[in-house]
Amino acid sequence: MLPLLMLSVPLFLLLASAIVMFGADTPRFRREKLAAFPIGLAFLGSVLTLYRVTSEGPIVIRFYDPSLSASLIIPLGFYVDRLSAVMMTLITAVSMLIYIYSTTYMYQDGHASRYLSLICLTDFVLICMVSSSNLMMLFLFWQLLSYLLYLLAHNHTHAGTLAGAFKTFTILRIADMAFLAGIVLAFQLYGTLEFHDLFARAAEMPVTFSLWPGVEVSGTTAVTFLLFIGAMGKSAQFPLHLWLPGSLFAPTPVHAMLHAGIINAGGFLINRLAPLFGMSPTTLHIAFVIGTLTAVLGASMMLVQSDIKKTLGFSTIGQMGYMIMECGLGAFSLAVFHLIAHGLFKGTVFLYCGNVIHKTRQDPHFPHIDHAITDEPAFSRLTWSTGFATTLFIPLLILLVTHGVLRIPLLESQGTIIILFFIWITSSQAILTLTRLRAVASWKVSSTMLVTLLFIIFTYLFAVESFTAYLYPNPEEVASYFKAADLPDWLFDLLILGATGLTVLGWYYLYLRAHGQSVWTPSWIERVRIRLYPLFMNRLYADEIYRSIGVKAGQLIHRIDKLERGWSR
Amino acid sequence: MMELLLSWLLATIPLIGAFISFSYWSDAERVKNSSIICSILSLVSVVGLAGFLAIPPNGCLSLYILPLAALTSILSHPLGSDHRLSWVMTLVCLGFGMGALTAHELSGSFFLMMLLITLVILLYRHHTALWPISWWGVGLLVLGLVGMGISMIADPPVSSVAALVTCAVLLPLVPLHGGYLTTVTRLPGNLPSFVVVLLPVIGFQRLPQILATIPEDVLVIVRTLALLGALYAAVKALAQSRVRLILSYGSLSFFSIAWWFAATSGFATPQGTLLVGAVGLATSGLLIAWQVIRTRYGDDVDPQAISGLAAAMPRFAVLLSLLGLAAMGIPPFGVFAGFMGLLLTSSQASVFGLFLTLAAWLAASWYIMQMVQQLLFGASRSDLRYTDLLNPELVSLAIVVVVLLALGLVPSALFAPEQPLLEQATLARELFSWRN
Repeated sequence: MLPLLMLSVPLFLLLASAIVMFGADTPRFRREKLAAFPIGLAFLGSVLTLYRVTSEGPIVIRFYDPSLSASLIIPLGFYVDRLSAVMMTLITAVSMLIYIYSTTYMYQDGHASRYLSLICLTDFVLICMVSSSNLMMLFLFWQLLSYLLYLLAHNHTHAGTLAGAFKTFTILRIADMAFLAGIVLAFQLYGTLEFHDLFARAAEMPVTFSLWPGVEVSGTTAVTFLLFIGAMGKSAQFPLHLWLPGSLFAPTPVHAMLHAGIINAGGFLINRLAPLFGMSPTTLHIAFVIGTLTAVLGASMMLVQSDIKKTLGFSTIGQMGYMIMECGLGAFSLAVFHLIAHGLFKGTVFLYCGNVIHKTRQDPHFPHIDHAITDEPAFSRLTWSTGFATTLFIPLLILLVTHGVLRIPLLESQGTIIILFFIWITSSQAILTLTRLRAVASWKVSSTMLVTLLFIIFTYLFAVESFTAYLYPNPEEVASYFKAADLPDWLFDLLILGATGLTVLGWYYLYLRAHGQSVWTPSWIERVRIRLYPLFMNRLYADEIYRSIGVKAGQLIHRIDKLERGWSR
Repeated sequence: MMELLLSWLLATIPLIGAFISFSYWSDAERVKNSSIICSILSLVSVVGLAGFLAIPPNGCLSLYILPLAALTSILSHPLGSDHRLSWVMTLVCLGFGMGALTAHELSGSFFLMMLLITLVILLYRHHTALWPISWWGVGLLVLGLVGMGISMIADPPVSSVAALVTCAVLLPLVPLHGGYLTTVTRLPGNLPSFVVVLLPVIGFQRLPQILATIPEDVLVIVRTLALLGALYAAVKALAQSRVRLILSYGSLSFFSIAWWFAATSGFATPQGTLLVGAVGLATSGLLIAWQVIRTRYGDDVDPQAISGLAAAMPRFAVLLSLLGLAAMGIPPFGVFAGFMGLLLTSSQASVFGLFLTLAAWLAASWYIMQMVQQLLFGASRSDLRYTDLLNPELVSLAIVVVVLLALGLVPSALFAPEQPLLEQATLARELFSWRN
């Protein structure tokens, strides 16, 4: 019964795709509406699966026997644990909303049926991917997803769309190549691609090999590093992030789906292989560096974009960097929590952004109301002291409350300290931005904001802790991931101190500037700032570099071809 | 004795079919129909008799693929009196090919020599202004013939090296790939879409005997040539603008990968046969699809001049996309299954070799994707008439796609001898030289 319930989820999505794809043209709209029901049933199936998996444990379905010669070359099977069930519920929920939205959004499009059918097919592939029982099947659907992203660009008569779709496919294929190499290496070293067998064998037989004299790499590091590159591609990590801004010509619901579901594949992969990644501190540190870099670059580029889709796109890149950084810190469950929250938020924003553009076109305000020139109120000492108190005391309160009430061991690992650090930065930044914008000089408002913020952070931490306990019921396992991700003490202290210093200096600078006070800064900082602005606005010229590499490679290939002529002519 | 009789029977069925088709020469439709029926009979006879034949170490997949490729190749071809020769010659080549695959020693060599002679004559007689005669290609086929002769009369290791040369002409290996390229680009009618399966499959079938007797020094050379060939062919495919050349260089790149794995492990596995057969079949399917375009818009039309077929010819677009995916080595098609099977079960001599094979696999995403994209997407031209697939074209392309899908998904035991995957992996791990 339970396996049937699980299998019904992808089958319903496949059925929805078939309903839209096949049939006469006349009742097209009716068929499109009808297909929403199987998608709804798939969502219902996912919720029930989540409930049953929570109470009865994982579901395992295999259509092959790995020990027999009659096995399939591509082994088809499903493994649904709590992680998979949560992902299935998220995907089907988002898919259902996107599908319903799309039926109206694409109503006048001549190829709406193809588009809607592909949406359902993508959902099917995503569900199969997150419920795969082995690495090979996961890779199979991972690859299909790359191709479906190419097709979902939809408007293939438009040159820009086509170029973006091709770039998406080729960049994802580069990452997929590393993923494939990781799978091959894992099989060669451990003789299996079944998740649990793989984890057990990797733990039982630690293998090291020499890449070249003097450089030794552990088997788990090599495997996880290659798989991580695969994850980097799908989750748009620097420098494989180029495909995401390039795909922005696709219909808006595709972006909602992409940013709410597909792009989370990297985070899911790392979580699915958490025990393997937990055995390789080196890969976790690399993930931390790549994630941090992507978060910083993504957020910086987002700040200077001038169109709403690109702004949201780079915001997603930054958020994905943040998610990968969490994985690099060993906070795997937090990354899943983050990807769910971000997925729902970004999906909503994308579905709504068309309305914003439409409204702006209908009712323009030049200059914008929010930016209208108003008399700046005088700099308030109360504002400043509220912000100062917030930045200093909120983390302390969180520490005391969570440590005492929730019994969360916040200071026992570097990962949680860094997470706390980010909570401090974001909450402080939020409250200071509010006070700066509105120049609030009221004790009532300030204290209400403080209490509200405290409540939100408290609830958030509670939710994260509960979610961690749900996904990884064994606290020792969670602690081992944090331990594996620990950085050297000196580096850790340096990072924290450096980041704190920079942040406080940044706030100080911005506040004084915002209130008309002159701040002395070395002239080179101003020069760097002026140079950085166009650099980030042009997205680090990455597209131009990519194009230039393509042209150079093309020239080289044709030169080689000209050198060797005749054999085939 | 029984086996010899059966192999002659399997070879004779298409040859008799060719003779019958020839007797209807004045009526093109009857020639085509009888050729199709003979291909089906050949396929049925293989299915019925395969159980009585000794299964070679690399499996019996090749036996099933050949008549299937002949069938789809003839079926897809448009009706016309100019094409009668290519249908009949497809049956002749199928007959010789079946004989070369199933018969051993002298009979097998005889069939192979007949096949090579047939191809040389066809290439000598058939050339156009667009595809002028390639003496280099014809010469290499003759070299294969000479190698065949030497391998029959000389003693080892000369006979082994001569047999290896013949094998390298059939299953193309740089620098002896010219014969294969010439047949794929210059043979008349539907023959290229059949020969692209026929030659490599026969070459790979003969490989196990040769690999067992070849000196290690020669194997090192073969490994090097195979790796360089995979890269060279990928680069060449990227530089081409003519579809037949893209497809022939693309398939050459994958065949070189099969060569590398075989030369590295020292034996030809069923996974290798799967890769070679699937690559051949996918290329055959793409050549059939290209034939569809040629039928409508003329021989050697520039693919960049035809665009927007996705909207105007949806059935063709879907099948071409699927064939493109298969040819690129994307799952769940046979090419991926074969490639993955080789990667998982063969002992890797070097990380560098693995990297190059993966790079060649990756390069296919560019040249195949670019070709498919040029045809399917972009704006439709108002000055062109678009006609979607006719039923015979649709059926033959659909058969190829379904078979490629089946090759990726069916249990490997259906076409491979008993060889548990895990046992092969264990063997591979034992041979894993670069691991501590």
